[in-house]
Amino acid sequence: MDYKLKRTLTNTVLYIVLIVVAILVLFPIWTAINISLLNDSQVAQYPPQLVPTQFSLRNYAHALEQAPLLRYLFNSVTQSTLVMLGQLVTACLAAYAFAFIDFKWRNVLFLVFLATLMIPWEATIIPNYLLIKKLKWDNTFQGLAVPFMATGFGTFLLRQFFLKIPKELHDAAVMDGCGSFRFLITIVLPLARPALGTLAVYSFLQTYNQYLWPLLITNDQTMRTVQIGIALLQDEERFMFNTVMAGVVFVLLPTFILFIFSNRQLIRGLTAGAVKG
Amino acid sequence: MKGSKQVFVLLSALLVLSMLLNACAPAATPTPEPPVQQVAPTLPPVVEEPTATPVPAAEGITKMTFWHSMSGDVGGKAIPQMANAFNSSQDKCYVVYTYQGTYDDSLNKLKAGLQSGDTPSVIQLFDIATRLMVDLDVATPVQTYIDKEGYDVSDLEPNVLAYYTVEGQQYSMPFNSSTPMLYYNKDAFVKAGLDPANPPKTFDEFTEAARKLTIKDASGNVTQYGGAFAVYGWFFEQLLAVSGGFYTDNENGRAGLATKATFNTPEGVAILDWWKAMYDEGILANYGRTTVDTRSAFIAGQTAMILESTAALRGLMDSSKGKFEIGTAFLPRPNEAAYDIAGTVIGGGSVWIIKDRPQAEQDCAWEFIKFLASPEQQAYWQTMSGYFPIRKAAYENQLSVDWRATYPQFQTAIDQLHAAPNNTFTQGGLIGVFPTARQTIEGAIEEALAGKGTSQEILDKAAETITLAIEEYNVSMGLTP
Repeated sequence: MDYKLKRTLTNTVLYIVLIVVAILVLFPIWTAINISLLNDSQVAQYPPQLVPTQFSLRNYAHALEQAPLLRYLFNSVTQSTLVMLGQLVTACLAAYAFAFIDFKWRNVLFLVFLATLMIPWEATIIPNYLLIKKLKWDNTFQGLAVPFMATGFGTFLLRQFFLKIPKELHDAAVMDGCGSFRFLITIVLPLARPALGTLAVYSFLQTYNQYLWPLLITNDQTMRTVQIGIALLQDEERFMFNTVMAGVVFVLLPTFILFIFSNRQLIRGLTAGAVKG
Repeated sequence: MKGSKQVFVLLSALLVLSMLLNACAPAATPTPEPPVQQVAPTLPPVVEEPTATPVPAAEGITKMTFWHSMSGDVGGKAIPQMANAFNSSQDKCYVVYTYQGTYDDSLNKLKAGLQSGDTPSVIQLFDIATRLMVDLDVATPVQTYIDKEGYDVSDLEPNVLAYYTVEGQQYSMPFNSSTPMLYYNKDAFVKAGLDPANPPKTFDEFTEAARKLTIKDASGNVTQYGGAFAVYGWFFEQLLAVSGGFYTDNENGRAGLATKATFNTPEGVAILDWWKAMYDEGILANYGRTTVDTRSAFIAGQTAMILESTAALRGLMDSSKGKFEIGTAFLPRPNEAAYDIAGTVIGGGSVWIIKDRPQAEQDCAWEFIKFLASPEQQAYWQTMSGYFPIRKAAYENQLSVDWRATYPQFQTAIDQLHAAPNNTFTQGGLIGVFPTARQTIEGAIEEALAGKGTSQEILDKAAETITLAIEEYNVSMGLTP
């Protein structure tokens, strides 16, 4: 009885905390959707209206009229996907070398890798830009994506995960005549799914949120990305929050889809690991 | 083993959470304040024709690029419309317009592009980039073309031209020009027993009106503030100019190279004292640096008087429709006498021709700039954007006549422009580090409102900071007075 009461109490507290956190997390998203549905006079009300009273896609139409968001969306998703795949491939290979292969200067090299994390992106943006210009990669997808395909952070993340895979597994596999590549593909990667998922989501969102780089290397309307599209909606003198929010909701969609999809993957990976451990 | 796995799980969870927050970042950018809104643009039908799909450039035509920083309907509709009109008006030049983010973004992109040859033929930049653009020596002054062609500038507004004139040369052509004015709620004036036809003219009158306009509820909470100023460096610059104060030495850097900031003179101190006294009395609200927030509060009836750009007029008029009537007035001055000696400074932006482009492109750039400055285009521009036309003939255009009939309050902007004498007060400060200076001033205003010292002390400190920045800038550019 006492135990049962205690458990109910703990659960109640837990759920209250979870509900509060959920509200905190969901509120900005709700606000965006809400404002995107308000009409022009409702949005100027005080106190603000928290629930839309009508369902009208007028603001969405207006946003699409002001900026070619569909094209921008396609560009952003393509760029982010390319970067995500690139980072997964390079980080897996590098992390594997650092975790399983013994070679001279391994630790020093790894430190150098880590050191790149400390160089702010702003410091390298101009040299990168000049290089891309020289390669005539401006206004192209490779220009948007290639500079981000190698990642010190991703290598670090995966290496730490790979280190936890028992060395015996590696030795046994080698004993049976398994090469490094096969070991990576058939044994390491399936085990590392949660880490891979984390890195994938992280790199996708990082790229998706870029503003300065796409602005620098594209001039062509057809190669611009969504964040520039959102900036284009923000009229300084007649700030139309409902139009901007309609654009924002539109731009959030791919991120949502990615998140819902990868969330299941992540949790499955995490819990599978936890039970076995 | 198990412990480290848990750490990993925890880390991943944290990472996911941070990503979630990241993902929300764009949604969270605008403040949850009640936002300003406008009703569907009420434009004369002539200009409402949909922005035509751009015609592709014909063979052998000179292609040129135009970088602009106009967003919303202005950037999404007006700029394309004007560019398309230019392209179909003649068959030698073809303009390709690109939105390059804010003026700051655009300027940064230009600086980066100078090294790689990625430059536009024409770039639109804000007023305060003028000195920097001249010192970077990247532009062909439009004066060159004015002289070569004998282009008649007599119809252009002299005060507007003067802002972009450096060392006797017209460097860039004004394009989008604005000044700040006082916006007030006429209904609130009537309720407070004030005459809505007679808005405050001086600082003292403003304080008096603000006091009467402030309404408190039974428990003593303010439900309507008399006024509100956004903490915006531009307003301080403008108040200083109308007070007859110089931002820097050598008459705002117009008579010679500016070497130090001088806004800590009695004129500047008086502005901050006035601002702070009203704030301390609880009759002037502070909604922070973002002007949008102050506008929202005005529309929501939380405050009865605000300072805002002339370009905000249409948005304010449209969103206040059915709520209250808006009145506009000149920016208040310290005293009546100040009206004769000084006036507001031109704000907004101008268009520059970049000199490392091929000659043919630059020639086309000039053609495009002339097109933008034509009465028809300026009238259209005024109706679409709320900036005032840079030439007088535009007012006779039917579009402009109709527009002013819809928004009679705009006349104040034109009168204020014409009332301002053309002297070094109204030409405004000319320094290369203006964006930094503006932020410093904004910090100073915040400090003053928070009571972190007297206005004199705070302005002295800010002036010192800006003087240092000016000195560094002058050295880095190799400028000597």
